[in-house]
Amino acid sequence: MDLQDDGRSALIGLYLERRTDLVRFFTVRLRSAAAAEDLVQDIYVRLSGIDQPVEIQNPMAYLYRLGSNLMLDRLRGERRTAHRDGAWLDSQTTRVGIHEISSEPDAEAAVAARQRLALLTSALTELSPQTQRVFRMHKFEGLSHPQVAAQLGISRSAVEKHMMAALKHLSARLP
Amino acid sequence: MRKTDEDFDDGHVAEEAAHWFARLQGEAATGDDWLAFERWLQSSPSHAQAYERLETLWVDLEYSPVAKELGGRPLLAARRQRPVRAASHDVVRRRALWGAGAAVAAGLVVAVGLGLQSPSVAAQTYVTPAGQIRDIALADGTHIRLNAASKITVRFERDARRVEMADAEAVFDVAHDAKRPFLIEVGDRQVRVVGTEFNLRNREGLVDLTVRRGVVEVRPADALESQPTRVTVGQELTHTVGQAAQVLKVSDPDATFAWTNGQLIYHDQPLSDVAADLSRRFATPVRTADARTGALRFSGVLVTDNEADVLRRLSAYAPVRVERTSGEIILHHR
Repeated sequence: MDLQDDGRSALIGLYLERRTDLVRFFTVRLRSAAAAEDLVQDIYVRLSGIDQPVEIQNPMAYLYRLGSNLMLDRLRGERRTAHRDGAWLDSQTTRVGIHEISSEPDAEAAVAARQRLALLTSALTELSPQTQRVFRMHKFEGLSHPQVAAQLGISRSAVEKHMMAALKHLSARLP
Repeated sequence: MRKTDEDFDDGHVAEEAAHWFARLQGEAATGDDWLAFERWLQSSPSHAQAYERLETLWVDLEYSPVAKELGGRPLLAARRQRPVRAASHDVVRRRALWGAGAAVAAGLVVAVGLGLQSPSVAAQTYVTPAGQIRDIALADGTHIRLNAASKITVRFERDARRVEMADAEAVFDVAHDAKRPFLIEVGDRQVRVVGTEFNLRNREGLVDLTVRRGVVEVRPADALESQPTRVTVGQELTHTVGQAAQVLKVSDPDATFAWTNGQLIYHDQPLSDVAADLSRRFATPVRTADARTGALRFSGVLVTDNEADVLRRLSAYAPVRVERTSGEIILHHR
């Protein structure tokens, strides 16, 4: 058994041991025991498909995060339509004064998505420069918290605090 | 205005939700953190709502112009799930993945700075090396096809979309937005667009604008209040930077836009122009050996699939011989 199998089987062992905890957690998150079972099954599928050597600080937290990211992926699927229609609107809509004319059935959702986006984008500019930097590196450049901390020469908990401040502000700016 | 208790509670819950979201995204989070988070979620329905609000915001941000300018497309969630933590190697790999998806024909992207701090949303410079065309989709729905060996800078401001065009050629398909005009600084001219498709070229001090759809207005950059010249479908405006005059004539948009389809079309143009176009189009520069060769007139369509084939065709259509040296290609009159 090589290193790669080692890391993977350790994670799968932990998964099997703590499966009940995971189902309970995702039942809270999804408000459905059946949906939680499906999602926890998806976590297993992902684990058995991992093709990289694994070195994880907190294996249990990793399992929770993997499941939470699967939930985010589902959310991405749902939001995609609204945003695609929003982009479509930009190129197709005729504007007369402040009124937008569009024959698309989902135009309302598309307009709402675009307005949210405008709000979020301008809210980003209101953050302090350092908070913007941390947020950009983690969210848009895909760096982990430790990587952001190392690049900026700050502590991991400082990165967490900047992320928290940014999220709080962005959330407050949305209706 | 006094805050009510309810406002205070909302703010407090939002703060806790932000704390959990930030904490659980970090590698420092432990299994116990997740169990504590579960208890927090269960202690009030408003907690779950506040957390879900952050998740939606988190996903929606991926469609923000900031994300597009950095990555060219929404970020892929899959990257985040890779459990590899091999520090610097990991960063390099992620960046490489990102770059691969960034553009149809990947040119060089030079981030001038995210510009989050400035009043405008962002400034981004796009540079293509010789031999590479790049498609750029801007956040407002505008598409730019940037020809090889070109450089432009795009900046979106609250009430204007601005482009600075250095030595460059590009086709602009501009999304209509009456409230935010699309302004291009090119040489000593400003081009103002409301929503249209046109080719704009700025090479060696010669500005050339050809319109395929809509109307474009051109003004001297130092006299923006002056009466603009309106260029409409099928017209071409040419202007030498530094001179007052500009010429408006009937154009052949197909010929002007041909480069976007991998063609170059010439009507009785000097061979020196063809050599300059090919130099931008391909990695090895092409020049004419002398003034006599450069002055040869050329008409025809060159399909620009690869440099060797183009040169073979060119030498069949025009009275030239091709000489290859180590660093360049020289055309000789024969």
